[in-house]
Amino acid sequence: MNNNVRKSLFFSLVVVLVSGVILVAMTLHARAMTSADADPSSLPSTKAATTGSTSLEVPPPKQEPCLSCHISGQDKNLWTPVGRWAIFGTFGLIFVFGIYRSASVWTQRKPWVPLTARVVDWLDKRYTLREPMAKVLSKPVPKFALRWWYCLGGITAFLFVVQAITGIMLAFYYKPTAAEAYASIQFIETQVRFGSAIRMIHSWSANGMIIMCTAHMLRVFIMGAYKAPRELNWLSGAFLLVLTLVFGFTGYLLPWDQRAYWATTVGTDIAGAVPAVGSLVLVMLRVGWDVSEATLGRFYGLHIIVTPLLTVTFMLAHFIMIRRLGVKKPL
Amino acid sequence: MASTNPEQEKDSIPFYPDHVRTEFYVVIGIMVLVIIFGILGTLHPLGLQAPADSLDTPLHVKPEWYFLALYQLLKYIPPQVLGIDGPVFGVVAILLFVLAVVFWPFLDIKEDTKKAMRIRSIVIIIGVIILIAMTIWGEVS
Repeated sequence: MNNNVRKSLFFSLVVVLVSGVILVAMTLHARAMTSADADPSSLPSTKAATTGSTSLEVPPPKQEPCLSCHISGQDKNLWTPVGRWAIFGTFGLIFVFGIYRSASVWTQRKPWVPLTARVVDWLDKRYTLREPMAKVLSKPVPKFALRWWYCLGGITAFLFVVQAITGIMLAFYYKPTAAEAYASIQFIETQVRFGSAIRMIHSWSANGMIIMCTAHMLRVFIMGAYKAPRELNWLSGAFLLVLTLVFGFTGYLLPWDQRAYWATTVGTDIAGAVPAVGSLVLVMLRVGWDVSEATLGRFYGLHIIVTPLLTVTFMLAHFIMIRRLGVKKPL
Repeated sequence: MASTNPEQEKDSIPFYPDHVRTEFYVVIGIMVLVIIFGILGTLHPLGLQAPADSLDTPLHVKPEWYFLALYQLLKYIPPQVLGIDGPVFGVVAILLFVLAVVFWPFLDIKEDTKKAMRIRSIVIIIGVIILIAMTIWGEVS
């Protein structure tokens, strides 16, 4: 038997096994789903009907989809197939992988090459990543940079990631209109699963980000790490602090309650006191002379699009410059 | 791969895996804090005040806590400073201060010394104490 025949035999064996596993899983799944549908005791409506006075009432075959039931997790069946596929699918994949590995070692008469090494080889053959990546990863970090006050900037960056993730989660449910903003926050707090937790994290990470950003700036200032050749590091960092404050200022209006409304009124009033450009800035921020629905829309756009894009740009610049110049040696 | 300079080897660690591992521990710590806040949020939601009403001005209007010190400064500035309108003077002074901070590396171009560092630390400590005092004053007033 030559190598090609052996290979094709081996390949067809793998295909048959994989399709067999998929077929068995699908059959089991379909059977489970149909039995769940056919079983009348699993439907809550029929339970109510049997205990009620009219026992002859025919139960509704399929209920209307209910958004709040889905969000609060009353539709338990939604997660069941996913969980089943995850558990049995993992076992199936491990099983298939084991057969593939044994069979390929047997057919090729060569030691097994780990999958990670194969992926790295595949990428390296095409894009020659290994050498530059090794250079990036093995860059020495000075030991003095292992004190706790050197990680304040990193914590700020991580909190930004937390803010991005929780902010996207909140944006799924938030509605930036004067009529619906307040109600949508209430919906997040009361109806959405983990909604109040996500909102709490978003709020407190914002405060933490401002504190950490300021602390990082003070550390850099005291140690004189802003001096030449690191002027642009300081400049980009100062812009990032301003952007963080813009995040806080615009995000504060979004709940559209009394505190938010009047804090924004006061804040934009301060901007309006600047000579020459004040009135223009005030009108541009409020979209008019008063804080209104248009202000809410503008702040929402600034909060979720403009400021994040600018922040990511400046953060990348900040990080690249730090990599190029290294951490400043303390005196 | 790793640096071959023995002197460099002695006072530095490789970025990967040693430094990445330390960063990872810090991230785990912050994650724990974040999850604690999430649990607090489920137990006691942040809540909302009454819906926004442009006709109903509350008794004490306050900005966010990180603008409180600034707000307090503008609130208690005398109406006339050096012949200029008080609030305008305050806002311009703050703007100039921010500009000075942003462009500080281009203003302070001397070689760094231990003495300069000590002076900077003292200035920062006094500044932070004033800032915290102003914030607390704004919070309780």
